[in-house]
Amino acid sequence: MKTAKLFFLALAGSALALAGCTTVNSVENAQKEGQRNMVSDQRVITDPSLNRKVAIVGVNTAMLPTGLLKVQVELENHTRSLQRFLYHFEWFDANGMQVNNIISASVPEQIEGKESKMIFSIAPNPSCKDFRVKFIEAN
Amino acid sequence: MKNKILLPLIAAAAAALFTGCATDAHYVQTGDKEQIVSLNQINIQDYANAANDAVKDLLQSGALDKVANPPALLELSRIVNNTSQQVDTDLLTKKISIALLQSGKAQTKTVDRKAVGYQQENEFMNDQKTTRLPDFTLSGKIIETVDRAGSTRRTTYSFQLSLNDPKAGVQVWEGEKEIGKQGTRNTVGF
Repeated sequence: MKTAKLFFLALAGSALALAGCTTVNSVENAQKEGQRNMVSDQRVITDPSLNRKVAIVGVNTAMLPTGLLKVQVELENHTRSLQRFLYHFEWFDANGMQVNNIISASVPEQIEGKESKMIFSIAPNPSCKDFRVKFIEAN
Repeated sequence: MKNKILLPLIAAAAAALFTGCATDAHYVQTGDKEQIVSLNQINIQDYANAANDAVKDLLQSGALDKVANPPALLELSRIVNNTSQQVDTDLLTKKISIALLQSGKAQTKTVDRKAVGYQQENEFMNDQKTTRLPDFTLSGKIIETVDRAGSTRRTTYSFQLSLNDPKAGVQVWEGEKEIGKQGTRNTVGF
């Protein structure tokens, strides 16, 4: 009787634990046509909890024909559950001065368990040469 | 004796628990992690995100660069509000026009009556027409869709924007951003 109770409790517990765990399967072409221009990045991790869950895989950039810098960051969810976070791009000119712009809104984003996801932004004007991306974990 | 030890401990634990729930007035940044998420209305951060996406997409498309005399001249046209709430569409269009002006890719035609008056006076005095027709107009629509399942409500706001070439009569760029919110009640945080 006691064993049966324990079994059902364990079952209910694991069902609760697994609820909300959705991971992503994906497929892509193995021989890539496009070449990513990966840039060496410098990371400052003050929230190891977020970094353990949603890790930065790499950063690549491209100069658009319109003269604007495009930055793409690849993220990967190392957990098996959905993670929510905010990200925010900051831009700097050739003198390292931050370029004030209205479109650098903090963007709420979510990533499914084990999913790999790209986020990107476009420089607000052609004078922007450098960038910084900030990530904040949701409450 | 036991109660004397337990009571202060419980009081301290309760105080620690409720400290994080203080709601004293303080300044906040739009789009911070404490943003209020409303199920029945468009929040300020929703406009910012929709404008952000539209500007990124528009700048990436290069549509504004295909004009004879850059920067392109843009006139803001009508944004149709197809939601259940009263919306000031400037919350969306102003952000877009500021961002495009900051990018150096476009200028917006003035709607200031005094500026237009001075321009017309200048044209009359110099006997020459200086009014430049806009290269593009920006129009759009905001649509609200509500789905319910029991007490759970999902509201989706679709921000649809079109960049129109008035000379050719065609749409040279279109963008859509959907912002979906789901839950049973409004909340703080996202």
